Amino acid sequence: MSRLENFREMSVAEFFAKYREVAGFSNPARALYQTIRELVENSLDATDGHGILPEIRIFIEKVNSSNEKSLCRVTVEDNGIGVPPTVMPEAFGKVLFSSKYVIRQTRGMYGIGVKAAVLYGQVTTGSYVEVISSTKGSSYIYMKRLYIDMKRNEPVIVEEAQWRKPGLWHGTRVSLAIECDWPRAKSRVLEYVKRTAIIAPYADIILQTPEEEIIYFPRTTRKMPKPPRESKPHPHGIDVETLKQMLTNTKAKTMLEFMEAEFQSVGKITALKFLETIGLKHNMRPKKLLKDSNGAILARIVDSMRLFKFKPPRSDYLSPLGKELIKIGLTRMYSPEWVDAITRPARVYQGHPFIVEVGLAYGGSIPSLEEPILLRYANKIPLIYEEREDVSYKVLKDINWKNYEINMPAPIVVLVHVASTKIPYRGVGKESISDVPELEQEIRACILELARRLRRYLSYKEREAEAMRKVVVLAKYIPEISRSLKIISKSPDEWKPLEPNEEKDIVDALIKLIANYIEVSKLITGKSSVEDMIRDIISEVKIS
Amino acid sequence: MTHVNIDKVDVDARRRAANIMRESILPILRDISKLKPPKLVIPKRTLSNTIFDPEKGILVLGEEVLERNLLDIGETRRFMQTLLMASIIYQALIENEYPTIRDLYYRGKHTIIYKDLTRRHKEENTWDEQSESDSALRDLEVMTGLLREEMLILSKEKGKVVGDMRIKSGPDVIDLSKLGHGAYAIESTPDLIEFLDVNAEFVLVVEKDAVFQQLHRIGFWKQYKCILITGAGQPDRATRRFVRRLNEELNLPVYILTDSDPYGWNIYSVFKVGSITLSYESERLATPKAKFLGVSMTDIFGDKNKKPYISESERKNFIIKAKERDIKRAKELMNYSWFQTEKWRRELQLFLEKKVKLEIEALTGKGLKFLAHQYIPEKIQTKDWID
Repeated sequence: MSRLENFREMSVAEFFAKYREVAGFSNPARALYQTIRELVENSLDATDGHGILPEIRIFIEKVNSSNEKSLCRVTVEDNGIGVPPTVMPEAFGKVLFSSKYVIRQTRGMYGIGVKAAVLYGQVTTGSYVEVISSTKGSSYIYMKRLYIDMKRNEPVIVEEAQWRKPGLWHGTRVSLAIECDWPRAKSRVLEYVKRTAIIAPYADIILQTPEEEIIYFPRTTRKMPKPPRESKPHPHGIDVETLKQMLTNTKAKTMLEFMEAEFQSVGKITALKFLETIGLKHNMRPKKLLKDSNGAILARIVDSMRLFKFKPPRSDYLSPLGKELIKIGLTRMYSPEWVDAITRPARVYQGHPFIVEVGLAYGGSIPSLEEPILLRYANKIPLIYEEREDVSYKVLKDINWKNYEINMPAPIVVLVHVASTKIPYRGVGKESISDVPELEQEIRACILELARRLRRYLSYKEREAEAMRKVVVLAKYIPEISRSLKIISKSPDEWKPLEPNEEKDIVDALIKLIANYIEVSKLITGKSSVEDMIRDIISEVKIS
Repeated sequence: MTHVNIDKVDVDARRRAANIMRESILPILRDISKLKPPKLVIPKRTLSNTIFDPEKGILVLGEEVLERNLLDIGETRRFMQTLLMASIIYQALIENEYPTIRDLYYRGKHTIIYKDLTRRHKEENTWDEQSESDSALRDLEVMTGLLREEMLILSKEKGKVVGDMRIKSGPDVIDLSKLGHGAYAIESTPDLIEFLDVNAEFVLVVEKDAVFQQLHRIGFWKQYKCILITGAGQPDRATRRFVRRLNEELNLPVYILTDSDPYGWNIYSVFKVGSITLSYESERLATPKAKFLGVSMTDIFGDKNKKPYISESERKNFIIKAKERDIKRAKELMNYSWFQTEKWRRELQLFLEKKVKLEIEALTGKGLKFLAHQYIPEKIQTKDWID
């Protein structure tokens, strides 16, 4: 049955003033892009994160406004697991309340995004957010309109309702009005949706623009990546803040229990050894550490954890797309002549497991440009801004395509997906990934390997084309050669001028002969045999 | 198809050529039916494969051959052209036609319309220029060993002959001594001529048509019992073949009279050893025993034991300054082994030293009688020629 997210309350308040900038709501254009992004990513997490084939509807409508502000209403609907009515107010109306503050690979982090959108909407338009949702097993559909009491950081419900659910529908529909700048946001929004469709070809996505244009990306596959599993943090990957949270929430009575229960890759012997190393008693009460006012002890514990040799972190809770999905996604968008992808085994940087996946597509509807088109993704989120600061761009620009027999400009798309429990973003804007050496190395290895495969394909294609050119050259002369030979084959004593088609036996023998000596693979000839192909060419040869 | 006036000589020649042609192409057909890639084996017509055979005294083709494989797409077009030319000639032989090389060009010039890999319509001519069809014909000549004359291919008639001699050409008997002021044009197929009887002691070939006419009108051939011939400049193949037959079949010595310059010497060389670019014909066209009668440099300037035919004052008026390309040509001639005899070396050295040339007309300027009754007979009598 339905698995509900494990919602937990967190104790940090008053975030928005600071968050408005860093969360990407700095101006009306960026705010619109960010709002759509937060809602769509929540919708995807609520669907593919739970094994549901996503159906996502995005509506952007102009709202009449009394003053000069340009307003629009953004509505995003999904067929996800739904939000239970009891947690609905806090999920949408309390900053830093989130199901996501556990170590798991999800699209959003910290659970701030959607509430930042809610706050932004209520600050710029004075309106409420409307949430309609139903969970999978529920018999009811619930609706709540609410806003956030900014002083108390509490949701305030303005209106609520519930209906008996007539069918089996489940999912969430969130609708809010915000100040926006559609003309300036349009290209980014469209690019975002397009790139989402590439990486999630199993999703059915409809976008309706304020011009009432419908942009539809139908589902092209029912194959989905396996949903990510939750996991406990690895000792190498935590900071002081996280440790504090863990100590606050733990039910463990002793430090030994705490180490064993709250971390992955830590057994009893390892825990005892570690506690001994840092001089903590194994039966010490964890909460006692919270009384350490200046945090010096906590910082020492975190530092020691980084240095201590634990078992490497597990990676099986990462959710890569897999090379098949990447190929499907690139194919659906570009119909490339050639496409391939690589999913690397998991690796670790600074205690965080990560997986790099790269897809490379060539030809088809890809435009020929001086640089390959780079599609960046982090935990399945498209990264649109700050391309040139990204580690993938850095790797890509150093690649000499000439070494792979490709002369730029060329029609190439490179897709890079980094999946990790902690993406090393360059800035708080989360639009680019910094050049962590382990990551850079993996990305480079993938791109180079794919470039080598592309070169193999291209040189194979070149050989095929050469063979085909040869076939055409030979085929066009066959009628003339056959006629000439037939004339000479007739002895002077029984001479008669040549009848039409009399040379057919020589034509047939020549076709067989050429087919025997020229290898043309099925790649180019399609279904027909080489003989048929030659015959086709000859049938179109006319002599005048 | 007409059988009128086709005599036996003609019919036999056709039959022989057609059979040789067919036999040389049939292996291609056999290969194809065995699904073996067919190839034409053709002796190379390159300069590097042109050899002077000192024993025969002529230029011949060497051993080098080129293989024109159907499946080698760099050669496929020429493979097709060669077979196309073979079929046209073969059919013409059987159907008793006499095509010219221009006819062959037009008969074989077809447009091939086809679609390329991108499905675009393309057009290509079997050959564009006559140089291509001519080249295919030459390939066939070396491949089959048949000269175009033997394949009954006609070309423009250029050479002329007069003399006390009767020949049979087709059904007609022609008396070469009864042509008035005119002359007999040497036909394109000199092998079909039958020599009936001859009353002559030598053959005189003059480079220039004008000199031929003058000598004819003055009755030179009657008085000195010779067959008088001109190739009118560079001789065509028929003239060369005709001269060769006179020498070979009737044992008549052949003397050649040209301008005293590298161009004239080269004409002599073509008659004697063959042409460098078309050496495959020499076997049947060259006359290795032909002698260079004049005009030689020593005729102009004299030598140790020889008085010049022209006085010093005449020389001033008659000689012309050699041009740069004459010098260049003379130096080339010096490289050819058949010009490396003592006498020729002396001639060429003298030329390069004096850097002057003399046209044969200059001697008639001294008086036609001087040329006809003094210069030529005296040179022959005193054996003052170069062999």
